[in-house]
Amino acid sequence: MTDVSSTRGEPDAAAGTGIDTSVPHSARIWNYWLGGKDNYAVDRQAGEAYKEIFPGIAVVARTSRGFLTRAVAYLAGQAGIRQFLDIGTGLPTADNTHEVAQRVAPASKIVYVDNDPLVLAHARALLTSSPEGACEYLDADIRNPAAILDAAAGLLDFSQPIALMLMGIMGHFTDEEAYPIVRQLVAGLPSGSYFALYDGANTNEAFNQAQEGYNASGAVPYYLRSPEQFERFFAGLELVEPGVVPVPHWRPDPDAEPAEIYSYCGVGRKP
Amino acid sequence: MSRDQRDGGSPGDAGGPDAGGPDAGGPDAGGPTVPRLLLGIQLRRCREAAGISPDQAGYEIRASRSKISRMENGQVRFKERDVTDLLTLYGVTDEKIRDGLVALVRQANAPGWWSKYGDIMADWFESYLGLEAAASVIRTFELQFVHGLFQTEDYARAVTLLGHTAAPAAEIDRRVSLRLKRQDLLNGSKPPQVWSVMDEGALRRPVGGAAVMRAQLHRLIEVAQLRHVTVQVVPFRRGGHAAAGGSFTVLRFAEPDVPDVVYLEHLTSALYLDKHEDVDHYMEVMNHLSTEALTPAESVRFIAGIIRDI
Repeated sequence: MTDVSSTRGEPDAAAGTGIDTSVPHSARIWNYWLGGKDNYAVDRQAGEAYKEIFPGIAVVARTSRGFLTRAVAYLAGQAGIRQFLDIGTGLPTADNTHEVAQRVAPASKIVYVDNDPLVLAHARALLTSSPEGACEYLDADIRNPAAILDAAAGLLDFSQPIALMLMGIMGHFTDEEAYPIVRQLVAGLPSGSYFALYDGANTNEAFNQAQEGYNASGAVPYYLRSPEQFERFFAGLELVEPGVVPVPHWRPDPDAEPAEIYSYCGVGRKP
Repeated sequence: MSRDQRDGGSPGDAGGPDAGGPDAGGPDAGGPTVPRLLLGIQLRRCREAAGISPDQAGYEIRASRSKISRMENGQVRFKERDVTDLLTLYGVTDEKIRDGLVALVRQANAPGWWSKYGDIMADWFESYLGLEAAASVIRTFELQFVHGLFQTEDYARAVTLLGHTAAPAAEIDRRVSLRLKRQDLLNGSKPPQVWSVMDEGALRRPVGGAAVMRAQLHRLIEVAQLRHVTVQVVPFRRGGHAAAGGSFTVLRFAEPDVPDVVYLEHLTSALYLDKHEDVDHYMEVMNHLSTEALTPAESVRFIAGIIRDI
């Protein structure tokens, strides 16, 4: 599982326009698992190879996306949030953050952050705002949270609450990197802000094995975490019910069918 | 000059009386193209699942193997009887599936709004209009001309005259009106996303003269403000770019089963590619161009700069 884009960097960002179709690209593989059309032969092969070891990956992709939709709908609805900082945008798919938020609150403002040129080009062209709201696009690397906060300060109103979204991207970082990044980002947000996250969990043996194989292949690694490790991301925040839980259990739609558990998620509020 | 076949007028100009009248197959209706493609894809699936060769299938409906292949590629009109006979041959007995496909046959045979322009339009271009009207995302790279969906009436007329120097005035008018009519697509209730990357040359070439070109560039800035339109410029200073082959279009359809289609226009014909290998290659070039080009916001400022130069 590689999510949402960006590959956080290395191979793509280094190469000219940043599009290398000779190596699989995590945003495009993810797009393939989601049933999208923005993927090339190398991505489909890599996606299929992964699927052979772990057929559940398509469910991971779908259910994780479902969490994003429900979390954003909750944030724009019940929580009354009108500003979203979505880091690790990924390639456009159905129900992108601004579409969900602006369906609930048309004036919502979304800042999409990614460091992948392909993702950014797609976002600028296809993730366009409703007339009442706004979408902005930020070319930045999450490894530099201060720079993201600086740039976001020019685009969002930091006197009002903001929802920080890290959807499937923190798995690209070790604990040593990941917790400080999240701590720094959350510290920069005003009181009353929210933080939403999901990532792959290490609670399923088949998933663990597939991911080990994937990480050994030379691709940008992605680490699966335990439920306790997920809890740590939300230290100091008030967890929104039902807390840190498997993705299918977070405020499921009434008609949702039970799904296998591969990912964990949570939404916290900054006091 | 093939361009002139396909390039249309401009959204605002389209509003004349010609745009009026309820159009059975107007842009909102999508037209018959996607039903045809879907029908073809499903017929192929059923035939392959039944292990029946195109020859056998053709024999069943008193047609050739190439007719079967054209049907499966969504390139022909379908007869209801042919489809039901084939389904029987393929062992598809589920009434629900059969009824669904028969309903598709009816949609696939409905005329598109463009059918009344048949006299001035080559068949291959008619197919393009069908695809364009059905697409959810239209990505284009333009080397020489402003894209047809964005053209002003004057610019469209100038481009048309380039290709039809000897045509009578009435025919020119009809051709221009077809271009403008095409732009209704942008004003429909569910417009496609149009993502157009243009070479700086297309902006500098003063088609129709300086005044026409200035107005055209103003129009371009105007349409670029639309939520579903993106204009990006590849400036000369970026040097050589990825699209050595010239202008092309990639059409994306919302239906998960329908593959992307690459459209390449030539002087007297057009090429439609929908095989993975081909589409991958063109999509890769298109993605390179989109990342090499100025961002949409920079592009608008760049076009404003060219207007001052003209």
